[in-house]
Amino acid sequence: MKQDLTRRELLAGAGALLARPAWSRAAAAPTARVAVARCKTYGPELVPAMERMFDQLGGLGGLVKGKTVAVKINLIGVRWQRLGNALMEDTFWTNPQVIGATVRLMGKAGARRIRVVEGPWSTTESLQEVMYSMNWKPQDILSAASNVEFENTNYLGQGKKYSRFMVPGGGLIYPGYDLNHSYEDCDVFVSLAKMKEHAATGITLSMKNVYGTTPITIYGQDAGVDEPSLRPHGGRGGVFHSATRLPSKSAPQQKDMSLPKDAGFRLPRIIAELNSARPVHLAIIDGVKTATGCETNYGSPSRPQAAVNPGVLIAGTNCVATDAVAMSVMGFNPMADRGTPPFATSDSMLRLAEDLGVGVRDLGRNEVVGTPIKEVVFDYTAVREKLLAAQKKG
Amino acid sequence: MALNAESVPMRWPAGPLDIARREKEKGFSADTAEVLRRWLDPASLAAVQGTPVNCLVVSWAAGLPGDAGQQQALKPLIDKGREAGLGFVGLIEGEANRPAALAAAQSAGLSAVALEGDVPASAGVPVIPWSKSAQVRSTASSPVLGISDGLWPGLPQAAAATGGPTNLPWVDSNGAVLLIARTLAPDKTVWIGFDPPQQANLAAEAYALAVADPASHGARWVISLDDALRADLTAKKQSAADTWKKLIDTAVFFEQHKQARTYQPNGLLAVMSSFTGPDWDAGEEAINLLPRIRQPFRVMARAAGASFTGLQAIYYVDQEPPDAGLRKKLMAFAQGGGTLFTPSKWPNPEGSPAPAEPYLLFNMRAVGKGRLAVCKEDRPDAYDTVADIQNIMSHRNDLLRLYNAPSANFLYETSAQGGQGVIHLLNYSRRPGSDGPLFYVKERHKSARLVSPEIASPAELQWAPQEAGGAELSLPRLSVYGAIELEK
Repeated sequence: MKQDLTRRELLAGAGALLARPAWSRAAAAPTARVAVARCKTYGPELVPAMERMFDQLGGLGGLVKGKTVAVKINLIGVRWQRLGNALMEDTFWTNPQVIGATVRLMGKAGARRIRVVEGPWSTTESLQEVMYSMNWKPQDILSAASNVEFENTNYLGQGKKYSRFMVPGGGLIYPGYDLNHSYEDCDVFVSLAKMKEHAATGITLSMKNVYGTTPITIYGQDAGVDEPSLRPHGGRGGVFHSATRLPSKSAPQQKDMSLPKDAGFRLPRIIAELNSARPVHLAIIDGVKTATGCETNYGSPSRPQAAVNPGVLIAGTNCVATDAVAMSVMGFNPMADRGTPPFATSDSMLRLAEDLGVGVRDLGRNEVVGTPIKEVVFDYTAVREKLLAAQKKG
Repeated sequence: MALNAESVPMRWPAGPLDIARREKEKGFSADTAEVLRRWLDPASLAAVQGTPVNCLVVSWAAGLPGDAGQQQALKPLIDKGREAGLGFVGLIEGEANRPAALAAAQSAGLSAVALEGDVPASAGVPVIPWSKSAQVRSTASSPVLGISDGLWPGLPQAAAATGGPTNLPWVDSNGAVLLIARTLAPDKTVWIGFDPPQQANLAAEAYALAVADPASHGARWVISLDDALRADLTAKKQSAADTWKKLIDTAVFFEQHKQARTYQPNGLLAVMSSFTGPDWDAGEEAINLLPRIRQPFRVMARAAGASFTGLQAIYYVDQEPPDAGLRKKLMAFAQGGGTLFTPSKWPNPEGSPAPAEPYLLFNMRAVGKGRLAVCKEDRPDAYDTVADIQNIMSHRNDLLRLYNAPSANFLYETSAQGGQGVIHLLNYSRRPGSDGPLFYVKERHKSARLVSPEIASPAELQWAPQEAGGAELSLPRLSVYGAIELEK
């Protein structure tokens, strides 16, 4: 796994790519290697499985040695709402063991500084505090390597100003985004996601995880009108899902207000362009234990949910390729688009990202290593059908 | 029956005064007037026979021409009720001729009157001060204090679809005003009055919540029925009888569990205030919001000299700084390792700045082994204030956490010696959630038992120990109310 390009070079290259028509950009999007590992528990088998995957990708050293790494984890939603008695880390959130293992292996590979980042729901609490509130031991993550930090990126946090990320080629909905400084401060950006379905976008994997980088102080329901608010209050639904309000005027504004206001149109585009503006260098997906149905406890009779144990980890050097492999593991076709599950009511964020030149979703053009996909398929549709049948039986 | 701590009150609108007061209201009908007339009939008292209700609150005087007629019309009802062991409280409101109303009350043998405003030194009959929540004071000799401006508990109609900043929905609860009243008047029983929303077609659960919200906070609702329910009860409709039964069953439940009324709210945080004048709002708002962020707390009157034992933090609310004695005591608490939160007006703050702890709303100062947190703003947002207090206190020390009950509040109370505790859980949505509530409990207990009017008999709860310490208790889905009785 080599990361020889500087961020400036990477963005310049992406800019040149975006100057081409979509079909051409898609054809020229980078292919990547994706590793798959069976891992049934978060116990002793976890670290070796992850280490093996990173070796299969070419080793972490080339990517992180001497670098500052930002690891975006997923602590989505209202933390007080669990799926039954199941723990958040076993359903909706990146498991702390996976976070700790990632940090540990990056430290071992020579990372200079590792900052674990996330914008937890509607709070200025530190990530340690959020973890304490879930009975986690954040000190285990902080001590897994040297120079480990946490930052809540839902607001300005420890920064002095927000960092601007422009979408190469001008963007689909927004031309750019203002994010917490942590996303600029890093040399290497890692999306450490959970393998889940999503009510509005079909799936939520490493690409959708990047959606959570957007600060609520600018993109939230109670964001400041002119300038970012001091505190994050509420969710992003009004700005991103339905365009019922605008981001703070200090941030880049929507290009065309006549665009559809349907979340199935908007969110995949926003996710694709965020991944283009703030590229992911390493995507890791925790599919050891997770939930089906929705990304958080939003289940409904038509979207029943269950805590499940697919027992799989996926990692890759490109977020589109990695998510494509994860979709296959979930029993979906990564080439699917609107009208076909999991994209029944939304456009494919993978196809849109491919059009932006972020990566390639065709498994035949990427290299899949490690455990063969067919050996770890966990069919989300079958789980749903079973749940629906049980529901029907009463 | 004499007024005492065991009196269980019910509003009994009946007679010409209630008709006169109501007939100008929109939607008031001849049928409603007829029901108000029929509730003067002593036979109507059958409704409360065999129930815990033992004290009827009647309209006595309102400064209207019908006052004397009302008192006269009530006589047969009062006489029959007294024979049956019921007490009567006369409500004196507005511009009523107080001396005449008090004399009539004494003559009619009322157990007490409930009076707005100043309580006369010698009334000839016990007087329940009937005040707005912000004016409650423990100055009267009556064993009962009345709060006249309670809220019908539940999810606010207008904001039902929206959440607060935490995305937990706002709830209307009387908890804060009742806890303040109990703190200011620890030797009194607190009654709270609120009427059901009219024309709302209220479910039985709504009445169960109306009983449970005050009762779980150690007070009593002056039971009040909506016009439709009163009419249907009079007409002996089964649906009304079912709703009434649910209400009464809930009241019976709380009478059977009245031991919990002797417990006091517990938590690592104390909210301290005089709860008077301009400081009432800030104190009440904090106490109203803390349950929404799941932070257990105690309430302390500034003058009371309560013990700080077991506290991690004190939020001193009042704009007026404490006197020298209290300030010394508060600073001793901080120097001993506690955290003292103060408003921006805290002259010559003790200790030295602690810049390593940057928080949005508080400047942190190191004092001895503890911290002084001085608010940066003169008029801070109440939610941001309690959220920052919780953040600074840290979830590491949480005694309790509640999951899967977004529309619920909980109140944690313990016995004087701390051996027994109770966690009251109130579901303001009045509908069971998709998942049962789940409590994390930090401290080890010998037993945990669920009691609720919604289950046939108490249920032992199983502790699920957590890897990082503490244990979880899983509850069944509850519509309105349940309590976990804890024993160490």
